[in-house]
Amino acid sequence: MSNQTDMMIEAIAPTTSRRLPVSRLVGFALLALLAVAAIGGPDLIGKDPAKQSLLDTLQGPSAEHPLGTDNLGRDMTARLLSGAQLSLSLAFLSVITAGLPGTLLGVVAAWFGGWTDRLLGAFADAVLALPGLLLVLMLAAISPGSWWALYAGISLTLWVDYFRYTRQRARIVLAEPSVEASRLLGLGPWLLIRRHLIPEIGPGLLTIAAFGAATAVTAVAALGFVSVGVRPPTAEWGVMMTELLPYWREAPFLILQPVGCLVLTVLALHLSVGGLRRS
Amino acid sequence: MTYSIEVEALSVFAGTTLLMGPVSFSVAPGGTLVIMGETGAGKSLIAQAILGTLPGALRSEGRITVNGRRVDTLAATQRAAMWGHELATLPQEPWRALDPLMRAFRQVAESHRFVAGTSRAEARRETVDAFAALGLTGAEDRLPGALSGGMAQRVAFAAATAAKAPILMADEPTKGLDAARHAKVVDLLARVPASGGTLLAITHEVAVTRRLGGHVIVLREGQLVEQGPADQVLTAPADPYTRSLLHADPQFWDKAQSHPAGDIVLTAKAVDVVRGGKRLISGFDLELRQGERVALTGPSGIGKTTLLDALAGLLPPVAGSVLRARSLSAHAVQKLYQDPPAAFPTRIPLDRSLRDVARLHGSDWQVVLRTLENLGVHPSLLSRRPDEVSGGELQRISIARALSVRPKVLLADEPTSRLDPITQKETLKMLERVGAQENIAMVLVTHDRHIAEKWADRVIQLA
Amino acid sequence: MTPFAKAALATLATRGVQAIIVALIVGIVSFAMMQALPGDAAYRIAAGRYGYDMMDAASAEAVRIELGLDQPALVQMWTWLKALAQFDLGTSAVYGTSVAEEIGAQLGYSLLLAAGAVITSLLIALPVGIVTGLRPGGVLDRMTLAVSIFLRAIPAFALGIVLVLVFAVQLKLFPVAGFKGASNLVLPSLTLGLGLAAVSNRVVRDAVAEAMSADWRLFARTKGLSARLTLTRHVLRNASVPVVAYIGVQLAYLIEGVVIVESVFAWPGIGHALVHAIFGRDIAMVQGTALVLGLTYVALNLCIDLACRGIDPRGRAA
Repeated sequence: MSNQTDMMIEAIAPTTSRRLPVSRLVGFALLALLAVAAIGGPDLIGKDPAKQSLLDTLQGPSAEHPLGTDNLGRDMTARLLSGAQLSLSLAFLSVITAGLPGTLLGVVAAWFGGWTDRLLGAFADAVLALPGLLLVLMLAAISPGSWWALYAGISLTLWVDYFRYTRQRARIVLAEPSVEASRLLGLGPWLLIRRHLIPEIGPGLLTIAAFGAATAVTAVAALGFVSVGVRPPTAEWGVMMTELLPYWREAPFLILQPVGCLVLTVLALHLSVGGLRRS
Repeated sequence: MTYSIEVEALSVFAGTTLLMGPVSFSVAPGGTLVIMGETGAGKSLIAQAILGTLPGALRSEGRITVNGRRVDTLAATQRAAMWGHELATLPQEPWRALDPLMRAFRQVAESHRFVAGTSRAEARRETVDAFAALGLTGAEDRLPGALSGGMAQRVAFAAATAAKAPILMADEPTKGLDAARHAKVVDLLARVPASGGTLLAITHEVAVTRRLGGHVIVLREGQLVEQGPADQVLTAPADPYTRSLLHADPQFWDKAQSHPAGDIVLTAKAVDVVRGGKRLISGFDLELRQGERVALTGPSGIGKTTLLDALAGLLPPVAGSVLRARSLSAHAVQKLYQDPPAAFPTRIPLDRSLRDVARLHGSDWQVVLRTLENLGVHPSLLSRRPDEVSGGELQRISIARALSVRPKVLLADEPTSRLDPITQKETLKMLERVGAQENIAMVLVTHDRHIAEKWADRVIQLA
Repeated sequence: MTPFAKAALATLATRGVQAIIVALIVGIVSFAMMQALPGDAAYRIAAGRYGYDMMDAASAEAVRIELGLDQPALVQMWTWLKALAQFDLGTSAVYGTSVAEEIGAQLGYSLLLAAGAVITSLLIALPVGIVTGLRPGGVLDRMTLAVSIFLRAIPAFALGIVLVLVFAVQLKLFPVAGFKGASNLVLPSLTLGLGLAAVSNRVVRDAVAEAMSADWRLFARTKGLSARLTLTRHVLRNASVPVVAYIGVQLAYLIEGVVIVESVFAWPGIGHALVHAIFGRDIAMVQGTALVLGLTYVALNLCIDLACRGIDPRGRAA
């Protein structure tokens, strides 16, 4: 009964603007800021994140140390920037290493179906048999403290999201009459992918990428925090939280800095693709 | 006398924009009112205004009286209290109007129990009776998803009328049902006025109006075109729009001219069609010649679409063979689809899709544009996406797209069943014209016997 | 056999395969972990068994032969997995006790925490989701959306740190860490529960809003059912289908959360033990705890599957 009314309401409603909502713009702005921090790193302020100064421990903000110093007198700004570099580069790389093969294999599975599809599906199911972080935790534990183990573990866990989404959507899209029509009209595989698949799954993949990057950043920090990820003295947000937790009473603002950086990064990533709206 | 429904100067607005009206009418007990019009005419808005279910963004003006009681000024809760007791509603798409998780029997029984207010045992008994009376025995334990469209409509009817409301409002009650089931639903509705109730029916089908009779209102784009007794409106319409609406009923089409048939382009020999492991059609033979129009008809589920796919070479026949003439190029067989928006890539502008095809086949873009104009499509529409143009326009664009590959055979799968009657007539006429101009052989799949007979040179009845 | 029983059996089979895959992955990764350890494995195991004082080259040699450490890696892995298949989880290198025994003591705590988290999340998400779902687009809806996005952005352990700082350290309302009584349960459950509710309240909201705008909801009303009866007899059941299915999706978050949050609060559960074991290179413990966590995950998923089939009679084969 409502179909008709909807059509009429739509007909008279002002054309929906294709402008981005404010929350997404905020997300992009924050991401740009974080990208600058990550690319520049500690070099931005010309300070060494590892340089200790046992005479200047747990200091508050000053001209010399804008965000204070930690329990070993190291400059907090330099350490946070170094942490951003580590987390964001790993997140970025794992999005690429998980996203490309995940998406390609998803298209392959949907396109060919049959045994190819079943085999790839079984592999994905195997990865999903364990909760993601548990798998990352165990893979990272093979070679403790190694950046590479962490990166490999996170990528291996995340590719499944792209794969499953692409496979499921592509299967639906490829079965649509429009694809059959395009085939009859003589469009080859490349045009079918460009005109039918990419416009249809692109936005969803972007969302998965943003959420995947957030998962990667969180995983690095979580593992660092429980001392099974990156090891001290590396400046990593999770490691910094562990190091600063004992000094919460003397310097509560110090422990809140890496926590804030982490939350801000995840928030920026989520906001940039529209927050919690279901895609 | 007290009318069942009396409407005076009813208009519906979205903000300050007039969507529908003003209309005035009245129906007495034992009477029938039919509201006719095409998609977007605002027919449903009248029913929603009477019922009090207009969406929040819309408001109505004018007086509405139900059984002598003015309702448009009542609070929402008071109007809701009349539902089921004084006003019963038959929904447009019954399978979507039934709770997908509740078995059919319980959905009717709960109406008896909670709306009519009978005891549990009584409600059971009444429901059993209703299922027997409506020929639903055996469907008690089915979920709505497992009911056919006709059965779902009858379950909805039983659930809506449990408390014996004297007025029944039915919005497009035949939508999505095939011809054989139309009659049953219409008979069910006709029983209401016959037993002293009041019927308000909304439909775009002339045939339904003709069978129900009573008082008829014709709407077009929210405007009242004309109203009067069914006999008068249907036999001597005063308004040209009403006339074209009536003439759009395939029964009254002129028989299309046949053209001299040329060489054989497609041959089907003893083709069997299987879907879901079931043999639907066996031993199908066809010799299709240049410029000829063939219609395939038969009830739904008989395998018409699957047969068409076999002819298109989209799916190899399980037995028999489909042979194309040697002169045919690889893309000489093209297809038109039932749901035009589904036949185009959804998220890219139409000219992108059309240019791709033209480029692949070396067709001049200017020629494509001329074809579009020839079909009455304004080129400015091409910058839109498929969901931003109407179904009729989109179907014409898809015809133009198919023509740009210079096909010899055009297979059309119910290409107009989702279109309004007038658009349907125009579209099929256009198809006939391009077939003659370009000497294309066409196969039309349709469930409508009249369309098949009027449009095609040759009708193949599948049964 | 009824269709329901058939579907339930199919689910059981799928989850059974998953359980085997879990055991294989955990076994192989643990084995790889052992292979990657520096130094001579035989010495380490001997030290683990007999203590550093009691161990010498001879006992290391004995271990080497007993465990087949002198054989090729693939043969060793086969032996390793065979032991796992016989539920022989081995002995903890750090505590010197049987891994099965250790886990038996810890599992209860973890399940308690998980239950606390799920109950907390439901207590928050159900009322909030239903109220906002009944009035989508309202002030409350937009406010809870903002709060949800923000909470969702805080990883469980960071939220744990913040809650500890605020409630335990500043306000001294709840104990910081360890487990001495029910009051210890509050902060960890709240940490995990808030994280779960941040998303699930939106899922409840979407499900309710969708059910409320469905054609069948309007028809239930126009056939004469009251708003209350429509809600209780139709809307809630339909809305619960996606909600229960989503609890299944959240199980991964729950298990991950248990591992990390237990470490934050020094909760004597299995997740804390896992992290501890990885840190201490106690491979038998790593394998045992990871295996039990993985199998718990599978078992909980199975429960959700069955619940979904129970609520939604449109049972489709798995």
